[in-house]
Amino acid sequence: MAKMDRKWVVLCSAAVAAVYATGYFSTEAEATKTTLRQHPPINIQTNADNPSVAESKNQPKKSLYKNGTFTGMGENRRGSIEVAVTIQNDKITDVEISDFAMHYSESDVVGLPDEVLQNQNAQVSNVSGATYSTQAFQDAVQDALYQAQNS
Amino acid sequence: MKKAKLFMDTVVEIQVVMNGTVTKELVETKVDRAFEAFRKVEQACSRFSPDSELMTACRVIEKPVQISPFLFEPLKFALEMAKWTDGEFDPAIGKAMEEQGYNRHYLTGKSIETPSADSTATFRDIILDEHDHTLYLNKPLVIDLGAVAKGFAIDLAANELRDFESFMVNAGGDLFAGGMDWNGRPWKVGIQHPMKKDQIIDVIEISNEAVCTSGSYERKNTNIPGMHHIINPKTGYSPNDCVSSTIIAPFAMLADAFSTTAFLFGREKGKTLIERVGLRGLFITSDLQIVRVGGTQNDSKEMA
Repeated sequence: MAKMDRKWVVLCSAAVAAVYATGYFSTEAEATKTTLRQHPPINIQTNADNPSVAESKNQPKKSLYKNGTFTGMGENRRGSIEVAVTIQNDKITDVEISDFAMHYSESDVVGLPDEVLQNQNAQVSNVSGATYSTQAFQDAVQDALYQAQNS
Repeated sequence: MKKAKLFMDTVVEIQVVMNGTVTKELVETKVDRAFEAFRKVEQACSRFSPDSELMTACRVIEKPVQISPFLFEPLKFALEMAKWTDGEFDPAIGKAMEEQGYNRHYLTGKSIETPSADSTATFRDIILDEHDHTLYLNKPLVIDLGAVAKGFAIDLAANELRDFESFMVNAGGDLFAGGMDWNGRPWKVGIQHPMKKDQIIDVIEISNEAVCTSGSYERKNTNIPGMHHIINPKTGYSPNDCVSSTIIAPFAMLADAFSTTAFLFGREKGKTLIERVGLRGLFITSDLQIVRVGGTQNDSKEMA
């Protein structure tokens, strides 16, 4: 085996260190604060279905959504799913999934042609693959947004 | 303890295996901070939010713009990769991605278009200043950090959790496995079957390592057959020699960038690339052959 090229490893560890060195990521002392305060509004706008809102930015306007955390339900191929969407000032700041698990059991393991598999005795709960999208959660997120809507 | 949230158009699942020595409060604080890393990197690097740090900076031409390390560092890594591959990997691909329809924000449903961007721009038009932490663009262009940003967020999250004996950060199939699993054994990670969604084709064992897979079977282009979200910057087409490329590395950003680059290169050139840097991994070719690359080959059972 070739010796691992240090250059790339050094770049990666320097990248992580840079975030802390510059104080961009709150340090240990601030950790408690981080969890207590509300998440800051982020750059995601939730006015997809209301293009007029973006244009009326300068006028005082009623917010589209209530602030807070709202539960939404949806269905995907693995069954029903539930999300908790947090909204601050009309921006989605957090989407947490409740009761979501992807499990692959021994019986799910198959071989490609000529492939012999061993050591698959335990359940494998983590799988590496092409990054799957959040499409399956869209209905649930929409449902939560619906709950959050100001009438 | 296990929590899942949506970031970067995927599901980020963070798990810390509880043992006697850690308190629930500490684990929760650290897991929240780990998720915060994803939030910060997404806010900095998203090509899908017009007001992300990346898209804001991309609107400034021929003038240095100061950027945060959440953007600077992954961009620097992507540019190094671009230089090293002489532009066969290129973060200036953003405009082409937009044109192919990869421009929709997963939460808002809003599409983004950058009509002013020059589709002939390359990584050579993106200049970073190490000293001032600035970005300078020669031409209007859209930077795409799809091959590094998620990996970087995983690395930051793992760094937040490093004091725990056993943890997992899994961002939609790209992951970092910390320590040993709940049985005190190396973490088992399945490799997704490219055709059968509920099945895996192989299992690898890792500890304190990242695994990232680039593949063509998710995020296909629904309008153009054969096209998907990995595009060769030189030809404008999607490579299809492999259907997936999995790389194991000490950092997720490293695994992420190299899995994408190896996918772009295809099995032969990809193998040379991975072996040259001393990494290891596994390609699945379009005719569903498994090609193991790098490493000691001890875990290779069937390859004659």
